[in-house]
Amino acid sequence: MNKQEFITSLRRRLVGLSEVELDARADFYSEMIDDRVEEGATEEEAVAAIGPLDDVVREILSQIPLSHLVKEKVKPKRRLSGVEILLLVLGAPLWISLLAAGFAVAVAIVASIFSVIVSLWAAGASLVACGVGGLLAGLLMVVLGNGYAGVGLVGAALVCAGGAIYVLYLGKAVTKGAAWVIKKGILAIKCCFLKGGRDHA
Amino acid sequence: MDIQLKRGLLDVCVLSAIKGEASYGYKIIKDLGHCIELSESTLYTILKRLELAGLLTVEAVEHGGRLRKYYRITAEGTARIAEFKREWREVMSIYQFIMKGDEAL
Repeated sequence: MNKQEFITSLRRRLVGLSEVELDARADFYSEMIDDRVEEGATEEEAVAAIGPLDDVVREILSQIPLSHLVKEKVKPKRRLSGVEILLLVLGAPLWISLLAAGFAVAVAIVASIFSVIVSLWAAGASLVACGVGGLLAGLLMVVLGNGYAGVGLVGAALVCAGGAIYVLYLGKAVTKGAAWVIKKGILAIKCCFLKGGRDHA
Repeated sequence: MDIQLKRGLLDVCVLSAIKGEASYGYKIIKDLGHCIELSESTLYTILKRLELAGLLTVEAVEHGGRLRKYYRITAEGTARIAEFKREWREVMSIYQFIMKGDEAL
């Protein structure tokens, strides 16, 4: 891929950003390629050194705040006509409800994920507390002469401690997985705001 | 590494790369290459952030028949590096305290 093809593809994939931002990013990459060529690389080598276009777009997307993309998307590209304003006002009950419902669904999904995580960590912490408490109480009972009950309690405490290890590992894995899903989800939402980024990110 | 800490470190790295004289994007990446790998898109974001914060200025200069952007550190940028050095001394003393605790174990 030569410089022109790279810049054209990049601009196409970032459609949705403002023209000013598109120009600034295209100029930046263009300058980077020119500097590498000046140093002796061919255009193709200079483009290859920047990395695959998919990776570049994904990295750019991950660095642009979602709020910025939303703002760019909803900002009118031209002055709205009277009919359009009238339609917007008349359709407000519908589009505001849909928007609120979408927002509520997103909040509910995130809240559900977080409640699973919090529950797992809380269960793990409870099992640790049961393990430690049961062990101490069991040993105390053995010392005080209530041997069978004491040994039974120590056994139960060890089961709790063993369970805690599994639950805490599960909590850690779910936390990591949720962070990955949320990150990917945000990236996917960002792609929806860019016409060209949708297929590849 | 904590994202905020990493962001702060990268900002100071880029400022340090231009503290002597004005520099351009590709040279900044090359100069920092021996200590940190920086992609073009990351550098773009950092430079924009530093420019908006008034820590550097940008000037397009004609070079070999094309325009090349040169980034020059401002007094605020220099102050940011000095502030980082002061903060880092505190971080290092905490690090040494932690390491001393580990050695004692």
